[in-house]
Amino acid sequence: MIEAHGLTKRYGAKTAVDDVTFTVHPGKVTGFLGPNGAGKSTTMRMIVGLDHPTRGTVTVNGRRYAQHQRPLREVGALLDAKAVHTGRSAYNHLLAMGATHGIGRARVREVIEMTGLETVARKRVGGFSLGMGQRLGIASALLGNPRTLILDEPVNGLDPEGVVWVRNLVRYLASEGRTVFLSSHLMSEMALTADHIIVIGRGRVLADAPVAEIVGRASGTTVRVRSPEAARLVDLLAGPGVSVTSTSPQWLEVTGSTAEAIGEVAAAARLVLHELTPVTGSLEDAYMALTKESLEYRSSTIGLHPDHLRADHNADHNADHVLADTKDVTR
Amino acid sequence: MRSSILTSGTQTPLPGRPADDVRLTFPRVVRSEWIKFRTLRSTIWTLATTLVLIVGIVTLFSVAFASQAGAGQSTEGDGGAIVVFSIAAGLAQLAVTVLGVLAITGEYSTGMIRSTLAAVPRRLPALWAKALVLAVSIFVVSLVAVAISLAVMQLVLGAKGRAPDLGDSATARILLGTVLYLSAIALFAFAIGALLRHSAGALATVLGLLLVIENLFLIPWKPLQLVSPFLPGTAGSKILMPQEQIDAMSQGAVGVTLGPWQGFAVLLAWVAVLLTAAAVLLRRRNA
Repeated sequence: MIEAHGLTKRYGAKTAVDDVTFTVHPGKVTGFLGPNGAGKSTTMRMIVGLDHPTRGTVTVNGRRYAQHQRPLREVGALLDAKAVHTGRSAYNHLLAMGATHGIGRARVREVIEMTGLETVARKRVGGFSLGMGQRLGIASALLGNPRTLILDEPVNGLDPEGVVWVRNLVRYLASEGRTVFLSSHLMSEMALTADHIIVIGRGRVLADAPVAEIVGRASGTTVRVRSPEAARLVDLLAGPGVSVTSTSPQWLEVTGSTAEAIGEVAAAARLVLHELTPVTGSLEDAYMALTKESLEYRSSTIGLHPDHLRADHNADHNADHVLADTKDVTR
Repeated sequence: MRSSILTSGTQTPLPGRPADDVRLTFPRVVRSEWIKFRTLRSTIWTLATTLVLIVGIVTLFSVAFASQAGAGQSTEGDGGAIVVFSIAAGLAQLAVTVLGVLAITGEYSTGMIRSTLAAVPRRLPALWAKALVLAVSIFVVSLVAVAISLAVMQLVLGAKGRAPDLGDSATARILLGTVLYLSAIALFAFAIGALLRHSAGALATVLGLLLVIENLFLIPWKPLQLVSPFLPGTAGSKILMPQEQIDAMSQGAVGVTLGPWQGFAVLLAWVAVLLTAAAVLLRRRNA
C-alpha cells in the first residue's frame, strides 16, 4: 500500500509534482500513466526517498520508506535501468545490493534465473543492451522479495517476448497480494496490464479509477445522430438524464441515451434517420483527452491552421466530452 | 532470452511474513560496500599502482643509495635512507586520490548511487561504510607495501649497515606515517568526491590543491605563509619528514611550525570537517 498526500516537488521555479494525492492498493496492478515530463518518475523517486518532497508526505505500508527496518523487503524499485555501475558484473551488482540486507547468493542466482540473465550475469553491465539493463533492474527490484513493487517504464527497450513476460510477471505478483505500481506513457500497454489507473499530467492527478471505468467513460455514453429532421428529434429525445446538443443543422450528439432507444423514438415518430452511431471510445481516447492539456512536449503541425484539421472533428469532439466527464468523477 | 515467471520455489512466500533474517544492518552495509569495492577494476589497478610505486621507488632509491655509500660518500646517518618514504608517499598519493574520488563519484556518474540509496535509504550508513572500506583497504595495502619496502632495504642496505633502524622512534613514526598519510589523503579525496559528486571536478580539485595550490602558498608573502602550514597536504606530510628536515624548515619560517603529529592532526581535522559537510549534504540533496 502506497499513500501519497499532497505530494509536491519543485525544482527551482518548475513544479514537477503538484499537490498529488493517491493510494495504491495491494493485490492489483496500478498503472501510473502520463506523458513524458508529467511527474511520474519524480513521484516514484519520492516514494523511495531518493528525492525529498517540497511538501506533502508519501508512505509505504504505513511508514516513510527510510523508516523501514528492511527497505528492500518492503519495496523493490526499478527507477532507472541505468542505476548500476557499468564496470561491475550483474551478478556482483545484485550480490552487493543483497548484502545490505543479508540476502545471499542463492537468492541472487534465483532472480538472475527469473529474469533470464544467466548467460550475461558475469559480464560487465556497461556492455548490456537496453533490454538486458531493464531485466537487471527488474532482478534488483525482485531481490528482496518485496511486498511492494515500483516499476518505472519497465517495458522500455524490451523485445515483444520481454513485454509479455513483464506483463505476466506483474499480474502474477499482484495476484500474490503484492502492491504493484507501474508507470508508462503507453496507454495500450496499460490497458493490457493494469487493473487500476492513475493518470497524471503536468504534475497533477487527472484521473484515478479502474481501467474499465476509464474506458467506459470514453465509450457508449454518446450517440451521434444525423437526420434531416433533427430539430423535431431534439424535442422528442429530451428528457431527464438525456442531453442533446446540435452540432450542425442535421447532426445531434445525444448523451445519456442509447442507440436502441433513439431508434425506437424516431421510428415511433416516423422520422428518417441517416445515421445512428454509438460513439465508442478507447482507453487511448480517454488518455488523449485527459492529457492533451498537459503535454510537456507537443508536436506542432507545421503550416496547418487548427481549423484545417477538422477531419478529425468527431474524435476531437468525443475527447472533449470525455475530459469533461472525467473531471466530474475525479473531483 | 528465456525467462520464467515463477521463482524456483524456495523464495516466494506470501508477502508480510518476516520469518527470515533479512534486515538492514551496518555490518551488512559494510559488507555490501566491500563487495562493490573489490569488484571494480579501477580498485585493483589503483591499489596495485600504489603498491608498485612505493616498493619500486624504495628499491630504486636503495640501490642508488647503496652504490653511493659503497663509494664512500658520507651520508647523514639513517635519516638519509628513510627520506625515501616521503618521496614514495608523495607519488603514491596520486593513485590513492584517484581511488578515493572514484569510490564515490563513480556511483554518481553511473547512476549506481540511486541503487545504493534505495537499499540504504537512511543514506549515512552507506557513506560511512564506503569511507571505512576505503580507509582500511588503503591502510592494509600501504602497510604491505611498506613492509616489502623495508625487506628490500634490509636486503640492499643491510650489509652496509645502512638499513633503517626500526628501534629509532622517528624511523618508526615515518613508516607508520606513510601508511596513515595515504589512508587520510584517500579519505580527504573521498570527502571532496562526495561533496562535488563529479569525477573530473573532484579529481581536479584534490590534485590541484595538493600539487599546485599548496605550492603557491610557499610564495614568500606573509598572509600566504601564515596559512600554508595548515593546508591539508602540507600539514599531513609532516608525519613523513625526519625531525632534522622539520627543524631545517622551521628556520626563518614566518608562520607556525607544526610537529609531525600536529600536522597529521590538522589533516585529520580537514577530513573530519569535509566528511561532515558531505554527510549533511548527502542527507539533504536529491539523489
